[in-house]
Amino acid sequence: MDEEMAWVVQAQHGSDEAFTKLVEAYQTHVYNLCYRMLGDAESAEDAAQETFLRAYQHLHRYDQKRSFATWLLSIAAHYCIDRLRRRKFSMVSMDAEEDENSLELPDADAPNPESEMIHSEQREHLQLLLKRLDGTDRAAIVMRYWHDCSESEIAEALHLTVSAVKSRLHRARRELAGLWQEDSPRPKPERRPHESPAF
Amino acid sequence: MNHRPFEDWLLEDQRLSSDEERELQAHLRVCTSCAAIAESNLALHSTGMVSPAEGFVARFEMSLVENRKAMRIRQIIGTTIFVLAGLAFLYWLASPFIQEVMRSPADWITNVVGDFLFILTSVQALSEISHVFTHLLSDFISPIGWLVILFLVSGLGVVEVLSIWQFTRTPQGV
Repeated sequence: MDEEMAWVVQAQHGSDEAFTKLVEAYQTHVYNLCYRMLGDAESAEDAAQETFLRAYQHLHRYDQKRSFATWLLSIAAHYCIDRLRRRKFSMVSMDAEEDENSLELPDADAPNPESEMIHSEQREHLQLLLKRLDGTDRAAIVMRYWHDCSESEIAEALHLTVSAVKSRLHRARRELAGLWQEDSPRPKPERRPHESPAF
Repeated sequence: MNHRPFEDWLLEDQRLSSDEERELQAHLRVCTSCAAIAESNLALHSTGMVSPAEGFVARFEMSLVENRKAMRIRQIIGTTIFVLAGLAFLYWLASPFIQEVMRSPADWITNVVGDFLFILTSVQALSEISHVFTHLLSDFISPIGWLVILFLVSGLGVVEVLSIWQFTRTPQGV
């Protein structure tokens, strides 16, 4: 049994300390998913906190045969999808909200200010485009590209079939590219030497 | 313009050979739609994880404590409401009886004592009657006769049980 599973078992037996260790280990994963899904730091913080609270309350339902990370991301993704649906129904102008929220993305290792500016612009651009995708498609994209989840893990987390995930990813990628092209022309990113030509 | 197979390579994140890469690069120079896929691909792969603000775990611990407190309060309120509702229902059920008691406690006590005495004397009388009957019947009916009566009574009981079972098993009125 690895360390993480030991924490899970201890937490299932009522150890708050063990659950805190799990929160420490997964805070970035959960927060990042919520941030990519909801698009602003405040909502992401709330959603991440709520995700861990729900995980704590329903820990007895967690099946140890499944991956804990996938289970946690599944809770976060469903919570965010619900919030996006509620936002849609509450008729709040997302565009206005988007303008108000500054994108507080942390600085990646920046070789030079110009390159950092281009990357930062791309990240902001990507975040804005993500907001225009359907909630479930967005969750699939985030889990695939930020959390390196396999198609079967995404299917398990989002309660979809593997073929549905494949088609959703394909559709979302195509939509994202369409939006990318539609929007104002951006500086073409340089491919890193070690990367595959497909990306 | 034919986007195949370049679009599939890009959308499925395929690893390419050097020849394929050259072909793709040539296509990207002339095809804006595939170039957009490539650019969005690169953005997806180069955007890192976002971390929460400092003290996320401490904030979670605080919200957990608050959540527990709120849950305890909810439990107390729920239990209180449940108990009060139960008491109100019991009062509603017993109100005619209570009203009667309150109207005249002396009458009520007299009635209770009278009822108790009636039950007691009835039981006593019944036991005496049954005692006399068994005493008298024992002289008229032989032990084999008793066995036959017992057998008939138990047989009737079995027939009754079976008929009830049969009726309840078969759906009625369909």
